[in-house]
Amino acid sequence: MRKPLAIVLVLAMVLSFAACSGKKAQTSSSADTNTASGSAQGTQPAGKVTLDNIKIGFVHISDPSDKGYTYNHDLGTKKMQKNLNLRDDQIVNKYNIKEDDSCESALRELAEQGCNIIFATSFGFEDYVLAVAAEYPNIQFCHATGFQAASSGLKNVHNYFGKIYQARYLSGIAAGLKTKTNKLGYVSAQPFAECISGFDSFYLGALSVNPKVTMDVIYTNSWNNPTAESQAAQALIDRGCDVLGQHCDSTATQTTAESKGIWGVGYNSDMIAAAPKAVLTSAVWDWSVYLTYAVKSVVNGETIPADWSQGLAEGVVDVSALNEATVAGGTADAIKKARDKILGGWDVFTGPLYDNNGTEVVKSGETYEDPGSAPKFDKVLKGITVVSQ
Amino acid sequence: MDKLINLLYAAVLAGTPLLFGTLGEILTEKSGNLNLGVEGMMFMGGVAGLAGAFYYEKFVTAPSGALAVLIAVICAFFSGAFGALIYSFLTVTMRANQNVTGLALTIFGAGFGNFFGEVMANTTASGYAGVGNKIKDAFLGISIPGLSSIPFFGKLLFNYNILVYLGVIIAAAMAYLLNKTRAGLNLRAVGENPATADAAGINVTLFKYIATCVGGGICGIGGMYVVMVTCSGIWVHNCINGMGWIAVALVIFATWNPSRALLGSLVFGGLSILRLYLPLGIPMQIYGTLPYAATVVVLVATSIRQSREHRIPQSCGYNYFREER
Repeated sequence: MRKPLAIVLVLAMVLSFAACSGKKAQTSSSADTNTASGSAQGTQPAGKVTLDNIKIGFVHISDPSDKGYTYNHDLGTKKMQKNLNLRDDQIVNKYNIKEDDSCESALRELAEQGCNIIFATSFGFEDYVLAVAAEYPNIQFCHATGFQAASSGLKNVHNYFGKIYQARYLSGIAAGLKTKTNKLGYVSAQPFAECISGFDSFYLGALSVNPKVTMDVIYTNSWNNPTAESQAAQALIDRGCDVLGQHCDSTATQTTAESKGIWGVGYNSDMIAAAPKAVLTSAVWDWSVYLTYAVKSVVNGETIPADWSQGLAEGVVDVSALNEATVAGGTADAIKKARDKILGGWDVFTGPLYDNNGTEVVKSGETYEDPGSAPKFDKVLKGITVVSQ
Repeated sequence: MDKLINLLYAAVLAGTPLLFGTLGEILTEKSGNLNLGVEGMMFMGGVAGLAGAFYYEKFVTAPSGALAVLIAVICAFFSGAFGALIYSFLTVTMRANQNVTGLALTIFGAGFGNFFGEVMANTTASGYAGVGNKIKDAFLGISIPGLSSIPFFGKLLFNYNILVYLGVIIAAAMAYLLNKTRAGLNLRAVGENPATADAAGINVTLFKYIATCVGGGICGIGGMYVVMVTCSGIWVHNCINGMGWIAVALVIFATWNPSRALLGSLVFGGLSILRLYLPLGIPMQIYGTLPYAATVVVLVATSIRQSREHRIPQSCGYNYFREER
């Protein structure tokens, strides 16, 4: 008698979990967006795509709780929605999708729900984007930070990114002027060119105003892992760094800096609210520029380029308002001077630059430029120490 | 010297959530219940602890940090205990398989945590569930005038957040309870041989229920630590991220002994952050395997020594059928 009952109860528990997770999946796509109600569910609309019937899908690696990358990309989505006057049910967000085949299912679900254009926002999504895009030639797929669109031969896959290194250079100036120990720290996600070029430009910015500055870098090997990020930040502080930059999704680096009474420079979104006593400024993205452009292109039937990248001049990247309570005197002037220089045509990776083995990587008078939208500069520059690979 | 102090300090912080999970599981296993749902109970405790502090802040005009900590601890404890209650009901009363029930609890707890984390996030304008700076600060390291500024020892002993001390107190209390009190003796008897304990007049069912539920509650506090301290009071999707499983391994490492759990969690915490402090030039994936390699070594060592004191409670994993004595 008891055994059957026990089995039934265990089953009930498992099923209630399934119900829970089912509900969860629904909230993650519908709570913000209310998708499922729908005209064009399941099929591509036969008629012309207009602003009134276009449907836009997003695949994100985490959710707005990171207060950084995804949060900020979401702000871009909201701004784009406002720009184009779209309804909530025209935008479908998929949050917390891992960089594995769950990304493929998420993309397929969006395609089957009738999305006309789908944005995948994490680096590791690219292979799945290419696989799914080949099956849905009428749907446009835009992948942030990737590099394979142009070489894939698929007309409906597009990469987008921006010259974030310009904003990082400016934010590095704030760090270089603030540091007292002349030692910056940098919590970086992955040992890829995107991250390496990011901390290089941050360091070059600091170096431009403080010739004595050096920098230590620690990788967390994950885009969004607050535990590892705060531990890495702590380790950098213990190594004597007193201003921390970051290239990871959450605000853990900044909150750790604040709790230890030192300073930091945020990334992605304006992180002053997360750590008001620590953050000097943040290197920020405005993704709405590209999102608006891409959605408009679909409506107007125009081709989206395979590689899209814009920078400071177009307002895609910038530094957030300086935190007057924390920045060193003269920061605003120094940043303005550098900004004018960049807007005047100068760029960050201008030689002579040496890597940390002393080899010249960019010759004097030359300027390195990325071939596509994705950053490709992967030399760790002189003055930077990578702490354990 | 400074380097060593920094490493130890960071190891304590990294090891504390593991300490809670380990202590909870030791208490549970001492009663003969092998509850593999530590991960799930940590998720449940984590989300409930955050919810307690989050709604307290929402409904009170001037929230007090200390009260928020207390509310978070209580909510986390009862939420974890609730998960353990489901487990106890299924295994003790209904005699369901302990392994299967524990695994189901892990999956259920993860879904429970992420679901309610998102529910809370959806009620806010910002799109994430987090507490304000005042409550966040209450979970930061304390500073005792005079004591905290003693060189070396000040930082090593008197500079942690309040939950670290709570963990140590629980460990000491458990060591006392298990080894020095009548109730502890009875509990150990239940875990070693419930039939004998039953014959001696000990209420086996009651002991199993209480030990498992209190153990689950302690695990829940560990989950709350991850959310409130490590993630600065914000619900991060999947934030427990396997810590519950490390705690299960750590129980073996600690040989079911609460005082050794202190040492074990310090070692595991230290190993998890070692690469940040001691760069040896080896790939970081190898550093990541160190805690597990250590567990294997301890398993091998303890099974060679065959010490009776350090063995798993004999009935652990098996349900007690009074009728089948």
